[in-house]
Amino acid sequence: MKRKSWLPVSLALILILTLLSACGGNNNGNNASPSSSASASPSASEPSASPSASASSSESAAPSALSGKLVIWTFFDQVKDMAAKFMEKNPGVQVEVKMFPGDQYQTKLLTALQSGKDLPDIFDLERGYIGKFIDSKFLTDLSAMGGEDLVKDYVPYVQGLGRSADGKLKAISDHSSPGGFWYLKETAKKYLGTDDATEIGAMVSDWDKLVETGKKVYDQSGGKVHLIENAGDLFDIMAYNTEPWVKDGALNIDPKWKDTYAVQQKIRENNVDAKLEFMSAGWGTALNSGTVVLTSMPAWAGFMIDNKDDKAVGKFGVASTPLGFYTGGTYRGIYDKSPNKELAYEFIKYIASSEWQTYNLGKTGNMPGLATVYQDNMDSFKSSFFGDQNILKPYYDTVTKLPALSADKYGEEILSLWRKSAGQGITNKTDYDKVVASFKKEVKNAFPELKVD
Amino acid sequence: MNTKINKSYYGYIFIAPFFIGFLLIGLAPILYTFYLSLTKWDGFSDPVYVGAANYTRLIHDSFFFQTIGSTLIIWVMAIIPQILLALGLALILNERFIRGKHFFRAVFYFPHIVTPVTLGVLFSLMFDWQTGSINKVLMNIGLVDDPVNWFNNPWWSRIIVAGVICWQYFGFNLIIFIAGLQGISKEVYEAAEVDGATKPVIIRHIILPLLRPVMLFTFITSVIGGLQLFDAPLMLGDGPGNSTRTMIMYLYETAFKNFDYSYGSAIAYGIFIVVMFFTAITTLATRTKKE
Repeated sequence: MKRKSWLPVSLALILILTLLSACGGNNNGNNASPSSSASASPSASEPSASPSASASSSESAAPSALSGKLVIWTFFDQVKDMAAKFMEKNPGVQVEVKMFPGDQYQTKLLTALQSGKDLPDIFDLERGYIGKFIDSKFLTDLSAMGGEDLVKDYVPYVQGLGRSADGKLKAISDHSSPGGFWYLKETAKKYLGTDDATEIGAMVSDWDKLVETGKKVYDQSGGKVHLIENAGDLFDIMAYNTEPWVKDGALNIDPKWKDTYAVQQKIRENNVDAKLEFMSAGWGTALNSGTVVLTSMPAWAGFMIDNKDDKAVGKFGVASTPLGFYTGGTYRGIYDKSPNKELAYEFIKYIASSEWQTYNLGKTGNMPGLATVYQDNMDSFKSSFFGDQNILKPYYDTVTKLPALSADKYGEEILSLWRKSAGQGITNKTDYDKVVASFKKEVKNAFPELKVD
Repeated sequence: MNTKINKSYYGYIFIAPFFIGFLLIGLAPILYTFYLSLTKWDGFSDPVYVGAANYTRLIHDSFFFQTIGSTLIIWVMAIIPQILLALGLALILNERFIRGKHFFRAVFYFPHIVTPVTLGVLFSLMFDWQTGSINKVLMNIGLVDDPVNWFNNPWWSRIIVAGVICWQYFGFNLIIFIAGLQGISKEVYEAAEVDGATKPVIIRHIILPLLRPVMLFTFITSVIGGLQLFDAPLMLGDGPGNSTRTMIMYLYETAFKNFDYSYGSAIAYGIFIVVMFFTAITTLATRTKKE
């Protein structure tokens, strides 16, 4: 009897150990560096080596060369290029980029920050949720590290967005994302009579003119072509030309929203818009086929252009919108408890430099964050879709006028609630007061701590 | 007697891995969620104890009650056609004279292996107001003059969401029903045929009563699944006036979009109570049927 009894016990033990090791195995999987090039370093178990005490790579040439390893978390593929360029310049540094695409990133980042384990040295924050992170204890105060110097020549709104409520610089972006009306020159010529960006900009310099132009386009095309994609585009444009949604702990609805709502209804009633959702399949088709004349686009959205076999080269133009706006933006901050803060700061310094931003402008067409890079390239920069047009000019006019507001945790979420209520209101021709009432109810529900009258 | 007790002791060791796993991965988060629901926590600062405040808020939250209603409406609209369709097709595909039944079973099962998110995106493209294929077809055959804004109408939105779910799961239920039908002894059919029973009589008096355990299984699994509706409706949006927002969508939006983890936890417990309630009803209904 006794002899037999060790068998089930040991089997059960094996099962328990297997289960536990499976849990542990997952953790190891997360810790392990995906890049096999790290194998040169003997201390593979500890991903973050201090910049000073790196034993390896004594052969790297530069005298005051940086060395060590950095881990960056992002949702954005192009960070890999950024890291490659930085490593090219600093051969002693190894930058590991971990990418988590889509919505998971935000949750993954917050969970990791809370647990305090397996964390990056630098992490990216998107404009949509930077407001939630900016006042948290997780971000290093870059002002104290000399960050003010890096952003002194920045476009005001770009550096403003990276600041916490007390004005400290917490995150820096390497680009700006101004918006403009993109158009197919051929379509514009047919329906607006010109393909010149300045003339088109003048035709839509205010909302009344835009509605009038829209009516003409609709009539002239027999109802087949519309001037703009969606009346909802005005939400994006007005979001940065109105007062913040929360003031002193209370919901604040800028009176301009009422006028905007009236304009949006006018746009819808007069068939000025094609009623296509931003970034939807139909929206992209219209942009490329010309069934919509003007598409309000952020400067980074060039990937929406169908450029197979270079067919879009020189075909597009960009005109200014009635009011300046921007969409999105990626910011980068340093984790406050990172042991590699100094090295991480060098990376931030690099992406804030005109060297990187000029290179990035040329390679990807992403607009710079530095106003000086705009100025230096104003007359020379050409982008393949836009032919001879100096597109930096309209964008520079736009970005320099935008106010330097810092992000807060409510702005984007409340805007999306407004978009939901007012968007339905426009379609259903609902009275403005009713829209406001349902909006207030939503805000009160989502943020009970706010005062809503 | 003694030896028997000793033997069962080893049994406990064998089942221990599951319970250790459950304690670590299952129970600990459940209890932690309850702790969170008694706090105020945005994920950035430390949780602050607030007692039952989140539950008081939940009881007065009309949006939460609306999501319970929406979930049930969508569930009922999905489950009835789903079971009827699955049962009808199972009866047909179980007939000996049907050719290529294996092919059809595979085809009907196919939507079930596609992820709900994909189906959600697919249906949202099909029913798009301006560019959707459904509107294009309807306009081409002259049924409507202007494109229909499906997702601007609460009932159409719910029908589409229910349609996605129905289409996804009827194939699964079909397989279950076919398995059930094949479990019915051939002798019973033959006896009925010898007695001169017609097909409808066989279906009504033999097949359906004998299929009851399988139907109950389908019903109970769909109650559980129906109350957890999330991914497909999420892709189709909240609907006008939040008419297609389900309970889990509301939990997700509160906790992971607004970063209100504490209230999200309270909603999770609210949903738990709702699910318990409907499971109890289902259990009672099952009992009365047995008696």
